[in-house]
Amino acid sequence: MTGLRSAGVDSTKLKRMGRLRAGDLLFNWVTFAAALTVLLLLGGVIVSLIYGSIPAFQTFGLDFLTTQSWNPVTEKFGALAPIYGTVVTSIIALLIAVPVGIGISIFLTELCPPWLKRPIGVAIELLAGIPSIIYGIWGLFVFAPFFQATVQPFLIDVFAPIPVLNSIFAGPPYGIGVLTAGIILAIMVLPFITSITRDVFDTVPPVLKEATYGLGCTTAEVVTKVVLPYSRVGVIGGVMLGLGRALGETMAVTFVIGNAHKISASILSPGTTISASIANEFTEAVGDLYTSSLIALGLILFVITFIVLAAARIMLARMNTKAGN
Amino acid sequence: MMQSAVAPNALPEKISIKNLKFFYGDSLALKSINLPLYEKKVTAFIGPSGCGKSTLLRVLNRMYDLYPRQRAEGEVLFDGGNILNPGQDLNLLRARIGMVFQKPTPFPMSIYDNIAFGIRLYENISRAEMDARVEAALTRAALWNEVKDKLSSSGLSLSGGQQQRLCIARSIAVRPEVVLFDEPCSALDPISTAKIEELIDELTADYTIAIVTHNMQQAARVSDYTAFMYLGELIEFDETSKIFTAPSDKRTQDYITGRFG
Amino acid sequence: MASLGNSAISTPAAQALYRRRRRSNGILLTLSFAATIFGLLWLALILIALFYQGFSGLSLSIFTEMTPPPGEAGGLLNAIIGSLIMTIAGVAIGTPIGILAGTYMAEYGRHNQLTNVVRFINDILLAAPSIVIGLFVYEVVVAPMGHFSAIAGSLALAILVIPVVVRTTEDMLNLVPNTLREASAALGLPRAVMIRQVAYRAALSGIVTGVLLAIARVSGETAPLLFTALNNQFWSVDPNAPMSSLPVTIFQFALSPYPEWQKLAWSGALLITIAVLALNIIARTFLSPRTSK
Repeated sequence: MTGLRSAGVDSTKLKRMGRLRAGDLLFNWVTFAAALTVLLLLGGVIVSLIYGSIPAFQTFGLDFLTTQSWNPVTEKFGALAPIYGTVVTSIIALLIAVPVGIGISIFLTELCPPWLKRPIGVAIELLAGIPSIIYGIWGLFVFAPFFQATVQPFLIDVFAPIPVLNSIFAGPPYGIGVLTAGIILAIMVLPFITSITRDVFDTVPPVLKEATYGLGCTTAEVVTKVVLPYSRVGVIGGVMLGLGRALGETMAVTFVIGNAHKISASILSPGTTISASIANEFTEAVGDLYTSSLIALGLILFVITFIVLAAARIMLARMNTKAGN
Repeated sequence: MMQSAVAPNALPEKISIKNLKFFYGDSLALKSINLPLYEKKVTAFIGPSGCGKSTLLRVLNRMYDLYPRQRAEGEVLFDGGNILNPGQDLNLLRARIGMVFQKPTPFPMSIYDNIAFGIRLYENISRAEMDARVEAALTRAALWNEVKDKLSSSGLSLSGGQQQRLCIARSIAVRPEVVLFDEPCSALDPISTAKIEELIDELTADYTIAIVTHNMQQAARVSDYTAFMYLGELIEFDETSKIFTAPSDKRTQDYITGRFG
Repeated sequence: MASLGNSAISTPAAQALYRRRRRSNGILLTLSFAATIFGLLWLALILIALFYQGFSGLSLSIFTEMTPPPGEAGGLLNAIIGSLIMTIAGVAIGTPIGILAGTYMAEYGRHNQLTNVVRFINDILLAAPSIVIGLFVYEVVVAPMGHFSAIAGSLALAILVIPVVVRTTEDMLNLVPNTLREASAALGLPRAVMIRQVAYRAALSGIVTGVLLAIARVSGETAPLLFTALNNQFWSVDPNAPMSSLPVTIFQFALSPYPEWQKLAWSGALLITIAVLALNIIARTFLSPRTSK
């Protein structure tokens, strides 16, 4: 048993220990540097976008944000049309995806039989994993022709006699356009919103729900009186996260929006978004000003999404601290 | 060497705790503890939950250093040096003062590697020597016969009691001088508990041992000295037989007779 | 007071109220069920169209021939190889950085303010528009070099890999019980040894899942490649030259007026979807024995 007797401290042990400690210090620094890299990446993105957009802002000033013309020949560029398209498509997407996403979450947390919960949950998450270009190609070849032949003529006919609405749904039915892009975006962000609202609903303490059911409340009352109020902040956070995705989404939109640098009253007509403009024109942009204007569009997009995503994260974090208590 | 007032004999002190205070943030968890740990004896720390006995144990190998806003003041002399010195080499300290935890903590690797892992860090030894060391440690922890045919299977495949003995083997394999046990049996069944107690008894031949326990019978069975703590204070320290038969403090008596706890 | 047990629903008015509550309950439940069907319907429709259109064009020549000029038959070999090369390179660059950064956040810097900042910024990067990452790489790599290249494409993909891996690594290391860290420290192990030999081992399946999800994410990315790697009609494995990739080829071919190209685009889309779904499913099965424990 002498092999296990305390050996005390000898010089080899000390030497090995010194080496190990040096290794520990080195590893600490390496991981620290990697963590800083994450910060530097975001800093680099911001700096490079600002640097790249200087010529555009020098030439057009803040008018860049408020003018609609986009003319590569005369080199007059304004970001209003893509900003408008980005905002409108995202709003359409959220108008569809938020109620549906919350509905699915209610189904999954309150109604769904346990054996079905996992398959549906997995299916929703697989939907989130499908690359956006797949939505784009499907939207272009399958959805847009169907939409053009059926829903769009119907919308144009139905709303024709109604003022205001008849200009929002004014023909002709192109198939592609702002509304189509909004719908494709809705399908894309739906899984994000669903999985976050479901997670947020799951944080509602079961005792709270049981107490409400114990009063004789119906499922609908439990959902509207307890679950939704309790998780409101988290649901808004999830919606904002979905909005961040919708604002920045490129490929799904580029296929189906029509790429027209104009603002039309009708959501059935072609338009453009910031990301679609960049994707379509960047490699063909001739001249520094054209390139710089596209980078400036990227900067605007980044600033908008940064604000939306930051707000979303702050709200979700607040929800988590609440769940922690 | 300064002798503690309560020391009945002039036994050598392996560790001497002097005026130890411990803080979690701003709250004082240990109030001026003075206590010796005698060499090659078992000292038990008992007391109600939250009395600071585990905290005291975790000062001895400076485990609290892993967490922010925890700090100790005073002196803990270990072979004459104060382990609370900021310059203290923690890895070396912890190699000399081993610890066994409340829940078994086998590493996610084979039984053999669980033992060899710690040895390999400090010593460059041949495969044959390593085999011998692993066998010696497992034998010493009374586990060898149960695992000798499956040394390459995962440490997580063992039962709770076996896992705990594996952790003891792992701890003594790096040849510490002191072994700290933090409620080592609280997650185990009575049979496994008996085995661990027997093991602790055998380990005193070579090691100085401190054990935190909730179980007073256990303290009475395994320890030579017992320290009773209450609300962050050391109430009484004496030979175990004395504490359990004729405690000098009323609170000690109330606790060991089950009047509170 | 003796009739308290019945009084709540005994009057006609109370019964009418109860019926109304039942009805609104039925409406909400029906709506939520309809929402679920509606959501799953899209998944089904997209997959059906994809398999129907994609399979009809799928043949061996897809894997053996180069992308053709307009109006001719051909395959996607150079695009497939280009995608593989740039994805592997991007993951090879991004994974170590991501794992190390996640390690800092969960281990050395767990209680630091810096970790909170990095986590916040990383979450932003995770959801930032990928086309902006493309612009960034264009400015710092393509513009200075003077030409598009596979290197630039790989770097853009690496930047997308990093936040995914950082996130999962930190989450998974945070799941490693503290008792294991204490037990390692109690043996006198320096932190680096504990992290590499104990914590990584305990978190392995989770970290692998993160890497697989990162691969799934970047293998379908188009926007960041558009102006970094560009595209290449021909066979090229030169990292310093433009390189073809499946997503960019799909983009180009789908928007073209040529039926042969459109058919290839569908086949390419099917290949990507199968690869991404397979990666997602593998990643999930990797993780499940851990989480179910």
